[in-house]
Amino acid sequence: MRYALQKIGQFAIVFFIVTFTVMILMRLGLNAPGDPARTLLGGTADQELIDATTEKYRLDSNPFVQYVFWMTNMVQGDMGFSVPNSQPVFDYIQGRILTTLLLGFYAIFWGLVIAVPLAVRQAHKRDSWFDKFGSGAAFAFVSAPAIVLAPILTILLIKENTIGMPPPFGDFQVTIGGWFPRIGDKVYPWQDLGEHFRNFFVPTLVLTLPIAAIFSRLLRGDMVMTLQADFVTLASAKGVSPRRVLWVHALRNSLFSLLTSVGLQIGGIVGGAIVAEQFFDLDGMGSMLVTAILQKDLFTVQSASAILVGSVVIVNLTVDLMYGVLDPRIRHARAIA
Amino acid sequence: MTTTIDATTAPEDAAAPLPAAPTPPAKKRKLKWPGFGIVFAVGFLGSLTFLAIFADYLSFIPYPDAKIPGPDGRPGRYEWGPGTAAWFGTDGVSGDVFSKVIYGARTSLQVGIFATVFGILVGGFLGVIAGYFRGWVDRIVMIITDCLLALPALLLAIILVDRLSDLAEDASWLGWLSRKWTIVITLGILATAPLARIVRAQTLSLREREFVLAARSLGAKPGRVMFREILPNLIPAILTVGFTGLSILIAAEGALAFLGLGVEVGTPTWGKLIDENRNKIDEAWWATIFPCLMLFLTVLSFNIIGDRLSRRFDIRQAGV
Amino acid sequence: MSDLIQASSRDIDGPLLVLKDVTTHFKTPRGLVRAVDGVSFTLDRGKALGIVGESGSGKTILSRSIMGLLPPRGTVRGGSITFEGREIGNLGRKEMRSVWGKEMAMIFQDPMTSLNPVMKIGRQIAEPLQIHLGMTKQNAWATAERLLQDVRIPEAKRRLEQYPHEMSGGMRQRVMIAIALACGPTALFADEPTTALDVTVQAQILDLLGEQRRDRNMSLVLVTHDLGVVAGHTDEIAVMYGGKLVEKATTKGLFANMKMPYTEALLNSIPRLEDRSHTRLSAIAGRPPDLVNPPKGCRFAPRCPYAQPKCQNEEPPLVPTAEDPNHLYACWYPVGSPENTEIKVRIAASKSEFAAAAGGN
Repeated sequence: MRYALQKIGQFAIVFFIVTFTVMILMRLGLNAPGDPARTLLGGTADQELIDATTEKYRLDSNPFVQYVFWMTNMVQGDMGFSVPNSQPVFDYIQGRILTTLLLGFYAIFWGLVIAVPLAVRQAHKRDSWFDKFGSGAAFAFVSAPAIVLAPILTILLIKENTIGMPPPFGDFQVTIGGWFPRIGDKVYPWQDLGEHFRNFFVPTLVLTLPIAAIFSRLLRGDMVMTLQADFVTLASAKGVSPRRVLWVHALRNSLFSLLTSVGLQIGGIVGGAIVAEQFFDLDGMGSMLVTAILQKDLFTVQSASAILVGSVVIVNLTVDLMYGVLDPRIRHARAIA
Repeated sequence: MTTTIDATTAPEDAAAPLPAAPTPPAKKRKLKWPGFGIVFAVGFLGSLTFLAIFADYLSFIPYPDAKIPGPDGRPGRYEWGPGTAAWFGTDGVSGDVFSKVIYGARTSLQVGIFATVFGILVGGFLGVIAGYFRGWVDRIVMIITDCLLALPALLLAIILVDRLSDLAEDASWLGWLSRKWTIVITLGILATAPLARIVRAQTLSLREREFVLAARSLGAKPGRVMFREILPNLIPAILTVGFTGLSILIAAEGALAFLGLGVEVGTPTWGKLIDENRNKIDEAWWATIFPCLMLFLTVLSFNIIGDRLSRRFDIRQAGV
Repeated sequence: MSDLIQASSRDIDGPLLVLKDVTTHFKTPRGLVRAVDGVSFTLDRGKALGIVGESGSGKTILSRSIMGLLPPRGTVRGGSITFEGREIGNLGRKEMRSVWGKEMAMIFQDPMTSLNPVMKIGRQIAEPLQIHLGMTKQNAWATAERLLQDVRIPEAKRRLEQYPHEMSGGMRQRVMIAIALACGPTALFADEPTTALDVTVQAQILDLLGEQRRDRNMSLVLVTHDLGVVAGHTDEIAVMYGGKLVEKATTKGLFANMKMPYTEALLNSIPRLEDRSHTRLSAIAGRPPDLVNPPKGCRFAPRCPYAQPKCQNEEPPLVPTAEDPNHLYACWYPVGSPENTEIKVRIAASKSEFAAAAGGN
């Protein structure tokens, strides 16, 4: 319990520093009085409006006061106003966040679904052709960032490719691809599951393949080590079936790197989501943030990045506490510490 | 296809008499992982670097802003596919994609390498002092790295590049800060956190080793111990992480350019090429796919080298 | 299914385990490692056999080979292993699974690494019971508690809920024994069961093993490098060197009349209580033989103090002694034979000569 509190405190400090720095960064260079408000309102605002805005958001007070003021409001659901979008930031984010959340969830979920069985089998049949092929594929996908995968998957799955001999030589033609829309529509699962799947499939794939590759490489490595441990041989010697040896005895002892990596990958997934949303014109937080940063939409950037940082911090905290659940030794050590 | 010859097959392979026709088995042997992967990586990066450096002097590489006349003799949009007129085809402004890809490599490699060096210097310094002095220095460094890792890297990069370029426009003392150097600094900052962490971990274990203890007990000053005793032993780890980091930074540079935050207008980069041509991917796949492939192969090659080094030096955490 | 086959072919009266010319080779990049090279012996029901040898003699590989626990890739097994009248030497892991834990069980050397760190003790003991005997979870845990009491673990009920890291090494080894005993195996292989433990705990564990063996009328194969360990706890002893059996006799017979110089050397390397303090430990000089290219003649010849030219060139066969047909040994000049005594005298003479020469200078 003390350990958990300590960790929460540590993560709270990180959260504060990062969100505060983002705020400062966004205001860098806006030194003259009224500058932040002018930036916020766009080019042609009159002085009266600027003064009123400055007053409303305390934009002339010192950064800490501004931060506390903004944070307090944000917690209460008031994130300021986004002038370029003519709507409250809260509504703006609300309209976008689900897309990114779904993308991120799918990326991790399918990443694990692909990686875990693959890695377990690879470790089990070490150095077989299956293992070698799997390792090679994983290595290739680790090296394929979203910006590379998106165009290639577009060619393969979205573009209609007609394969066949040119007319003089033969007469058969096969059309592959064209299964998914070029531009992602925000269709939520509860609206139309099939359409949702069609619209989210390729962007999800762009995010999930590299993640699955990273996961499977980590898990395979740890699993290979675990399978050499004495207790695995003992489990076999007890007459436990190979499947049970793998999935019950060895897997749980091999999950630590994978777990750590899930926490670390959140940042990478957001990065991938930014590119994928931009590429497939899927309206999510990623493309929203890019636009907001370029438009100097201060409150949108601050609030959206605070939400992202918050989620990264919470996931990492969860991962940290999960170690104890997974390994009684860690639980034990933390209980006495 | 991948790993080394394993224990079971090796003796049989070795014992098998060489067949009369030497070509097929020789090829088979070459395809084994240690040879093929690393040879490919070094070969690819070597030739890419060579082409990028000497592009101006090589007659078969047109200038990136040259217009390639179409079949009708006048420049047009995406008129040539891959072929003899233009190896990788032409793009929307009649530019030669091959030439743009090579000039793009120039940008990517430069930015990647400079940013990695920046990351190694800053991250290495932070890591060494954190691991050596421990206590509050360590705590501060760890908080810095935690913070850098808490904000999604690409988001941080977008904010930094955007803000730094604005600053450079406004402030006269930052006039030297071109868009390229802005990106280098930004990516360098991104590379700092993982490097600092690994260097710290290595330093922590090194400082308890006998030879360091011996130097300290002889009264060597911290600076001397760090530079003469610890630093040389950190080089393998730094090198390994450096290569893996380079691959990540080059991908990040591509993503930034794709999002419109690339280097100066007029300088071709892979990310920019992908962004400019992706809407015409149906009619002119070559203008998008070749920059993609280049980016992929470059990232892959750096990863292969990083992976090799991490096995060679037995550094497990390098896969960040 | 496999139970039926077993039941029909089970041979109640014959010996429990018969090994005929068992070989276990490993393919490595260096060449074929002949880890076990033609070992034959018989083990009766309820008896305890000690397999003794230094590290690298093949004793651990032999025990794992009998159980079929070696990784299938790169391993070449030969010869015949008959267990309860059934040939098991050629069975794969799949067929062996019904034998493992139920008919044969194994105790590993290091209790620290042999228990699953993230699984409760109770579950680890209950697991084979549920698998082989089809017990419900409750029954299995109740049996597990009884087993823990059998191996003298106090507060058995509470211990079931604990994890391995909450126990001492001796405790964990008792848990290992409980796991091995769970399904009432007819043969128990203990691979250096006491090597990783404190000396005081060692005796307790060995006594426990002996006691359980008698109670359950189980055969025990005790693999160790320590002749002292097997002396009080086995009926028979087999000495291995370089993958081969070099001497085999009843425990009494061996200590009364050891034939192999290697056995003698092993015995001499155990420190004795009656020795004066600071007596030099007599280690066996040299290193175990290279099992890729074993010596041509007797494998012990390069390290044998009595080695003669014949030993270097001709491999001695395993022959019975004149007094006891069950006492086998493989040596051209066995300890106690007139030839050996002659050599001993010669060595002693040359030693004193050397000492005199050295002293003279």
